Amino acid sequence: MTETWKEFEANEVTHSVAHHLVAIHEVGREYGGWARVSDIARWLGITRGSVSINLRNIKVRGLVIEDDHRQVKLSEQGLKIAQAIMAKKAAVKAFLRDVINVPEEQAEIDSCKVEHLISQSTGENLFRFIKFLTSDDPAARQALSQFRKFEDS
Amino acid sequence: MKPIKHVEIVDELNRLMAEELEAFLRYFQLRYRLRGVDKLAAENFFQKAMDETLEHAEAIAAHIRVLGETPKLNIKLEVGGGPVSLKEALNDALIFEQQALNAYKDMLPRVAGDPGLEDFIRKQIATETEHVQEIAMLLE
Repeated sequence: MTETWKEFEANEVTHSVAHHLVAIHEVGREYGGWARVSDIARWLGITRGSVSINLRNIKVRGLVIEDDHRQVKLSEQGLKIAQAIMAKKAAVKAFLRDVINVPEEQAEIDSCKVEHLISQSTGENLFRFIKFLTSDDPAARQALSQFRKFEDS
Repeated sequence: MKPIKHVEIVDELNRLMAEELEAFLRYFQLRYRLRGVDKLAAENFFQKAMDETLEHAEAIAAHIRVLGETPKLNIKLEVGGGPVSLKEALNDALIFEQQALNAYKDMLPRVAGDPGLEDFIRKQIATETEHVQEIAMLLE
């Protein structure tokens, strides 16, 4: 996991690039990682033209590869970035939903907004913090329990 | 590929309309990124491309109306960038047109048996194929 975070920090990833990489990862899940432009467009809710234009720049950066049928797949580097983004999103979402009780749908939206913006170190710290809070450690259980009581008061 | 239901046809038509209108907007912005001789040389090409994408979008919207629905437009577009060469602009144009062509080709088997729509999609494929070939030729 640490290596993935390091790789991610070395790359400046915009919100759009982050979404495209995650979309390719998700759409390609059932097809050995390969995704069609039409499916990526549908997943992202944008046009095929936009996906193609955006993919051109992503390809230049070596984050995706393309086959003869114009299907795309994440390169090794692209996959690491996508995984890092998804890990951060999962950490933020877990924090929002499981710790501070944000409803699932809102947690999904808000974690999506910040997934590519928070730094490597923040992501790692958040991940460790959630791991601790959701562990069986008595101090963590007590802290969460106290917080719930505070919320209800 | 299975024929699609009414609601899916309308969704697909809305997506096709968005492809065309987005291409129109991209052409609109792209021509202002051309400079000097390139701008002069491409003036007619871009005007024609804009006219045609708009015509296509209107034709699609009309088909949606015929199906008893109202066109629904979903475009998320922000385009910027500095000056581009004619070659770069045509490369972009090739991408929009190729994607429009692919979208119509994907739609064709799904509207098989619907005389009005099938005929319309076939015509669009022919037109878009011509556009793609024309741009590819200009880029040779």
